[in-house]
Amino acid sequence: MQEFSKKLAMQFKPKYLFAHLVLFGVGLVLLYPLIFMVTVGFFTEEEFMTTVLGLLPFAKQPTWDNFLVLFNGSADAAIQQYFLNSTIRTVYATFWALLTALLAGYVFARLKFRGKEVIFLTLLATQMIPATVALIPTYLQFARWPFAGGNNIFTGGTGILDTWWVYLIGGPSINIMGAFLVKQSMEKVPYELDEAAKVDGAGTLRIIFQILLPLQMPIMAFIAITTALATWNDFITPFFYTSSDHLQTLPAAITRLSSAAASPGTVPNWPLIITLSLGTTLPALFLFFFFQKYIVQGLANTGIKG
Amino acid sequence: MISNDGKTVEPEGGQLAIGRELRKFPRKSSVKRRDGLIAAIILTPMILWWLVLSGFPTLFGFVLGFFEWIGISDSPKFVWFDNYVRFFQDPLYYQALWRSIWLGGLVTSITLLAGFGASLLMNMPLFGKGIYRSVWYIPAVTSTVATTQIFNILLDTNNGVINNILVSMGKPPIVWQYSVFWGVFWIVVYSVWKGVGGAALIWLAGLQSVDTALYEAADIDGAGRFAKLMNVTLPGLKPIATYIVITNLISAIQIYEQVLFMTNGGPYGQTEVLVFRIYRDAFWDFNLGMAGASSLIMAAVVLTATVFYYRWSTVSDRSITTRRSRKLRKGGL
Repeated sequence: MQEFSKKLAMQFKPKYLFAHLVLFGVGLVLLYPLIFMVTVGFFTEEEFMTTVLGLLPFAKQPTWDNFLVLFNGSADAAIQQYFLNSTIRTVYATFWALLTALLAGYVFARLKFRGKEVIFLTLLATQMIPATVALIPTYLQFARWPFAGGNNIFTGGTGILDTWWVYLIGGPSINIMGAFLVKQSMEKVPYELDEAAKVDGAGTLRIIFQILLPLQMPIMAFIAITTALATWNDFITPFFYTSSDHLQTLPAAITRLSSAAASPGTVPNWPLIITLSLGTTLPALFLFFFFQKYIVQGLANTGIKG
Repeated sequence: MISNDGKTVEPEGGQLAIGRELRKFPRKSSVKRRDGLIAAIILTPMILWWLVLSGFPTLFGFVLGFFEWIGISDSPKFVWFDNYVRFFQDPLYYQALWRSIWLGGLVTSITLLAGFGASLLMNMPLFGKGIYRSVWYIPAVTSTVATTQIFNILLDTNNGVINNILVSMGKPPIVWQYSVFWGVFWIVVYSVWKGVGGAALIWLAGLQSVDTALYEAADIDGAGRFAKLMNVTLPGLKPIATYIVITNLISAIQIYEQVLFMTNGGPYGQTEVLVFRIYRDAFWDFNLGMAGASSLIMAAVVLTATVFYYRWSTVSDRSITTRRSRKLRKGGL
């Protein structure tokens, strides 16, 4: 209690007031675009078009329609479908990222075999190559995928382009950064724990899932949240490898409406873009608030170990 | 491996090594073989799949740089280094590369400096510092596509918030899209907006990992606040500084999404960065060869920057390393 009142009194020292002022003030500025997005989300289309937007525009006839449309869908855009696609894709990618990171992390942290260091460092080094290098080849690869989409061995059809496979196919491949993080975290667990379990007759899978996994929860949560956010926010895969409307995700739908993709001179459909932006941003924020402890912890860990 | 060692090492050393090998040989080898089998069963499928879906396309992308291939329906033609020669002769490309480098450097330095300042404040025993941390980090979790659109609404020429405010103050509105300066300015603002919270969090973790005993020792020696910052805090932050500079630089050099959605490279391609150029080549102009060559150069730049910075920052690290290993050894005993 005394500790608390001492701390409270301290907050009013000039130095502390200054810190509060800066952190609060700049924090507000950082939040401003998101606050703005929510307030314009209450506008109807007509009102948005006719209002001269101020710093914080408030709708005269506020409506929940823009938020509800995310759950109910709408006539002119299959928002619900985008939402569903985004969700399924995210859950799927996160599941595989966790599984491969855990298994590979275990192998690199615990097992002794020839060439381990070489394999691990090679994989890690590839993470520095810009992902853009593989974009076009991936397009070609998807287009030439054997025996899919009307292809014979390599050509003839469109392969797996513009099918659900573009989202699913990458799942089982190794999540290298995740494996690295799990390895780091697992190496802190005493090896005696494995030995004891082995003596009790536990197999490798049991050791991984029942002994080690419960101790890796913070780092697994960090991998889950970063993978989920990256997949949720990714517009490249759907934008470049699909074209059908029923395959789009929320960010890809925004991309298609944005001025970058539209023919020059046309005015973007701002109300629809705002709605989709809300649909993309709000779930990410919920996810963040739910997992923020692990993000802070995980970021700190990656930094210190890296 | 053993035979190689045996030839090169001094006689006693060799004998020692052989003795150790002999003593542990039976147990170790069987464990190794079992471990090797399990590792193979677990790793092979996921690494093979990774090779098919990431390794192969990446290699293929590098190979593309040696071909002239315009439009997927055309057949590729092997042209040796023509694409690379063009890269350094055509201002479209080398200027985009240069822009990537200085824009990346600018974004990294502003983000890291601002983040460092914030982390110093967040490290004070403030009320609600957890809330500050979260709020500052929020922009990082938002989708670039979505939030750049919000920035675009704020920056709209006719009914943008900022122009409306300018007009209400009696100033003429600014057509942001016609100006290179403002284009770059808003790209930098957006990137810093997104990155500063993450930087602050990592700096903060670094600040908290500095051994408090060192501060106490400095107090006893009568060091002032500035002396403590220079002699305790900054050296202690070196490992984390290496990490944060490298990761930030790698991602900042490759900025393109905000360029794509905010300026679309304009006006007249004056804000085109290299990765954006690669996208243009690949998906609008279908110049696959140039896209491949450009991405190889991008990879080379990123790797060079990383290696240089890493080398530079670890040159004087020896004292820290020995101190830490001594500590570890003590802990181990």
